[in-house]
Amino acid sequence: MIKLIKITKSFNSQKVLDELDLKIDPEKITVIIGQSGGGKSVLLKHMIGLIMPDSGQIIIDGIDITNLNDKKLNEVRKKFGMLFQDAALFDSMTVGENVAFPLNEHTRLSRKKITKIVDDKLNLVGLENVTNKMPSELSGGMRKRAGLARAIALDPKIVLFDEPTTGLDPIMRESIDKLIVATQKRTKATFVVISHDIESSFTIAHKIAMLYQGKIIAVGTPNEIRSSNDSFVKRFIKDLRK
Amino acid sequence: MSKLSIEAKVGVFVVIGMIILGYMSMRIGKLGFKMDKGYDVNVYFDSASGLEEDVSVEIAGVEVGRVRKILLENGKALVILRIDSNVKLRKDVKASIRSRGILGDKYVVLVQGSTAAHLIEPDGRIISAVSTTDLDSLMNVLGEVAKNISELTRSFANVMGGEQGEASLRSIVDSMKSVAETLDRTVQENNEELIKIIANLSEFSATINEISSKINKGEGSIGRLIKEEYTVEKLNGTLTSLQKITEKINRGEGSIGKLINDEETVENIDSALTSINDYMQKQESFRTYLDYKGEYLFDSNEVKSYLTLRIQPREDKYYLLQVIDDPEGVESETDITTTTNGVTTTEHIEKNKKNEIKFSAQIAKRYYDLGLRGGIFESTGGFAFDYYLFKDRLTLSVEAFDFDSDSNAHLKFKADFTPFKHLYITSGFDDFISDEGNESFFIGAGINFLDEDIKTLLSNLPLY
Amino acid sequence: MTRFLEFAGRPFVFFIEECGSILLLLLSTISWMFRPPFRFRVIFKQMEFVGVNSVGVVLITGAFTGMVLALQTYHGFRMFGGEGLVGATVALSMTRELGPVFTALMVTGRVGSAMAAELGTMKVTEQIDALNTMSVSPIQYLVMPRIIAAILMLPVLTIISDFVGIVGGYFVGVNLLKINSGIFMAKIIDIVELDDIFNGLVKAAFFGLILSLVGCYKGIYTIGGAEGVGRATTQSVVLSSILIFISDYFLTAVMF
Repeated sequence: MIKLIKITKSFNSQKVLDELDLKIDPEKITVIIGQSGGGKSVLLKHMIGLIMPDSGQIIIDGIDITNLNDKKLNEVRKKFGMLFQDAALFDSMTVGENVAFPLNEHTRLSRKKITKIVDDKLNLVGLENVTNKMPSELSGGMRKRAGLARAIALDPKIVLFDEPTTGLDPIMRESIDKLIVATQKRTKATFVVISHDIESSFTIAHKIAMLYQGKIIAVGTPNEIRSSNDSFVKRFIKDLRK
Repeated sequence: MSKLSIEAKVGVFVVIGMIILGYMSMRIGKLGFKMDKGYDVNVYFDSASGLEEDVSVEIAGVEVGRVRKILLENGKALVILRIDSNVKLRKDVKASIRSRGILGDKYVVLVQGSTAAHLIEPDGRIISAVSTTDLDSLMNVLGEVAKNISELTRSFANVMGGEQGEASLRSIVDSMKSVAETLDRTVQENNEELIKIIANLSEFSATINEISSKINKGEGSIGRLIKEEYTVEKLNGTLTSLQKITEKINRGEGSIGKLINDEETVENIDSALTSINDYMQKQESFRTYLDYKGEYLFDSNEVKSYLTLRIQPREDKYYLLQVIDDPEGVESETDITTTTNGVTTTEHIEKNKKNEIKFSAQIAKRYYDLGLRGGIFESTGGFAFDYYLFKDRLTLSVEAFDFDSDSNAHLKFKADFTPFKHLYITSGFDDFISDEGNESFFIGAGINFLDEDIKTLLSNLPLY
Repeated sequence: MTRFLEFAGRPFVFFIEECGSILLLLLSTISWMFRPPFRFRVIFKQMEFVGVNSVGVVLITGAFTGMVLALQTYHGFRMFGGEGLVGATVALSMTRELGPVFTALMVTGRVGSAMAAELGTMKVTEQIDALNTMSVSPIQYLVMPRIIAAILMLPVLTIISDFVGIVGGYFVGVNLLKINSGIFMAKIIDIVELDDIFNGLVKAAFFGLILSLVGCYKGIYTIGGAEGVGRATTQSVVLSSILIFISDYFLTAVMF
């Protein structure tokens, strides 16, 4: 479904991704784990074409998106939903308008239907009575939920999460983790999560990929990773736990 | 205000702006005279220096027209004035070029003559024209005058001044004195002689008197000729028959009389002259242009070509005939339903004829800077607006056509810019609300030129 | 020496580079302009922001510009008895130069900076990326409506500024300095041409393009958090003002 082949990307002559190969399984939660500033966000943004690689291919459903024009790229992006680190809600719109935004843009549904979908999605992520509030009136956790509601508004086949639990208190972290797992179960979409939080990764992931120095050094189920005898992987986990 | 919707607020705002613009344009725009009304009058000036086209023509300080054109003819400036049709000019009107203030703009002043004189016909000529000396030539003349005066005074000074001058003056006075003395002496010495001469003169005049009285009495040959009754009768008869002939002509008798007295003939000649005049005028304003243009469509990477014939009988009106080679072509859709063995299958066929030739035929009219076009656009009905800017160098156009099909109307926006004569570049958006994905940005170039041959051909057809 | 030359040359090269990037943004804006969907509501919202909400500022600057012009030129003209020309001078300066330029500068301060700040914030909080992920072009959704609104609204603001400027000049000239009102108006009508007004409005539309384009450019290329947003805002005002003055010269050279 998503296949990255030999992706290389440098910023100001500093190599962030180095001939990275990765295949993401459909309808599963894949967590890409790595240290802060290790190029996780860059990798995620490559998948949706926000950043183009210096070399390599990104195959989404058989289409290489690295050489598409704007029009065709936007067609491919309609398969995606993305939750940003700080939710990236439009702060000039209410929460309801934010969730309705992709629906207004890409469907010709009646206003009534859109209102219903918005309510459904907000309920799904556990938010109530926030439709007419501005994003600035919400707490960090609520903003993330609202962002998730917006990301899944069009029922995308792939949902990307950029550090969903960063900056939240432990209780909120747990509830967001649960929400991710529950949402994936209901939507059967492919989830790609990047995180540096090893504990929550083990709880939500079907599969874990480890990013280190611009390469994926290990891929496997949480159990496989946990019981890995590879000393490098062991040290990596240890480092992250600190 | 808070109750107004955003659209209403913006609307009110824009309307206020338009009202102010309209008010200011009306106050400032010189609406007094419109060039398209009125008639032309020619006037020749020795010099039209400083005169510009479109400056005003005034009678008694009131604007009655504008200068339409300034040409050079036989070394003189032919100035064509466009005069308001309500203002009648007499044949003895005087035209002159004046300037407002010392540095002011030049304008034309007409002074009406007597009311008894005939009116000037349209395209007639003002005979009396004075190019008022402008400041430069006035200064030149003044300078020359001053030079002459100073030369004069200098030579006077040379003659009179100094001892030499004084001596010569004295000798002049002396010689005058001696001349008078000599004259006096001569008269005294020849007194008798003078008396004789006077007597002779008196005698001569008496003789002339006698001769004239003889003629009066019919004596001598001259006297007889004048006093003879017969001669007088003969002369009388000649005059009578001449009078009879003219009377006959006047009554319309005889062939010459008929020709001259027949109203119809006169009218015929008159209308013939008028139509020749009209014809010549139309010939003059009649223009045809041939135009080729190519537009590169960015979306489909193809070129759309236009071959245009523009027939322009008048400045503010033209006809357009256009052949278009369109790479998008014409689309046709058909549904074919076939029933075989109780199973109905519907086949949807979309045909896209590539490189279809399309035609346009439009009529266009222009009001000041706004042009309207209507007719056939790319083989469908439509209309368009053109807005002309920067002395027609830049034209902005919006075209709307192809309303009848199921899809959105075909809208086209373009800007034509003519940096050089005969050559222009064009750019814009074609079919920008297309729901078939035909919308495209385009850029192109074209050439156009005035075609005299087609003009002669067409102006002989009763097209207008 | 080389160092000094580099030091002197760098800002210039930077300026040219920036103008090139801005031009590229303009081209892509134009290419997005006529692609569906057409979000007229978004454009209207910007028109309200750029146009309706700037009226107060423009009224005040316009009126006082006209008034001070009348006051200044009066003393000059009085020296050779040309007081009657004060009105024409005010009207001509307002319609040709001061109306468009001052309006553009005020709107740059009020709107261009706001555009840079708003888009800059959206950029650093990843809202622009979010738009992209939702298959909505930020250029079409954010930049294009602002540019269209500014191009359409600046001429309207300018004509208002022209008008109040002349009214202000009339007030000072006729009511305070006792210039004959008939001569005051007659000279305006005599000397000012329709083209003066229209060319001024064309200028204004062009300035609208510049200030919105620069504001948006600085906004969507903001980097570096809140500090970056502040920097972008300042730079957008400075660069817009410079470009307005430079282009004003060339537009004037071409038009008049």
